[in-house]
Amino acid sequence: MLICKVVKPLVSTNRIRDFEHKHLQVVLDGSTQKVAVDAVGCVPGDWVICVGSSAAREAAGSKSYPSDLTIVGIIDHWDPEAAKATAAGSPAPTPAAAKPASGGMAS
Amino acid sequence: MEIMQVTGSLVCSHRVGGLGHMQLRVLRTPKGKLNVAVDPVGASPGNWVFTSSGSAARFACGNPEIYTDLTIAGIIDHWSPDG
Repeated sequence: MLICKVVKPLVSTNRIRDFEHKHLQVVLDGSTQKVAVDAVGCVPGDWVICVGSSAAREAAGSKSYPSDLTIVGIIDHWDPEAAKATAAGSPAPTPAAAKPASGGMAS
Repeated sequence: MEIMQVTGSLVCSHRVGGLGHMQLRVLRTPKGKLNVAVDPVGASPGNWVFTSSGSAARFACGNPEIYTDLTIAGIIDHWSPDG
């Protein structure tokens, strides 16, 4: 799963019907911008967890939902700089707590 | 799902039956890489679109039997390349 930062909502009126009414968010994965289906209701600036492949479809609605990236949780506390330090190899002082959002969309 | 720009249509009359009668578009990623995607929404050149890839693409084009791994999912209303 990926840790991404929510940039802004994506507005697309002319889109395929299978997306129904789900909100789409532009998320920043490192330096690349991607689009994710918002299953938990996040706001720009949130740090979120995104899931891909077939899990993204089920998290967004049904087995045949055409999403390959879905937001499944909003991280409570996340410090990007500490994360870069961890990635660079030095252990981070405080472990990052990741709590999946309780309120999800009724599917 | 990625954000790409439509550069033009792709005509490919000699192809497998699994592609059906789907229209093909050539898409360009912000980094300049070219892809071919199936287009169920009718995007025109210059449009910024978002795409669905992998097995989700087969569901996105309406018919799971279509042999695609990249499908245009919708045309973005307002998009600036650096935005």
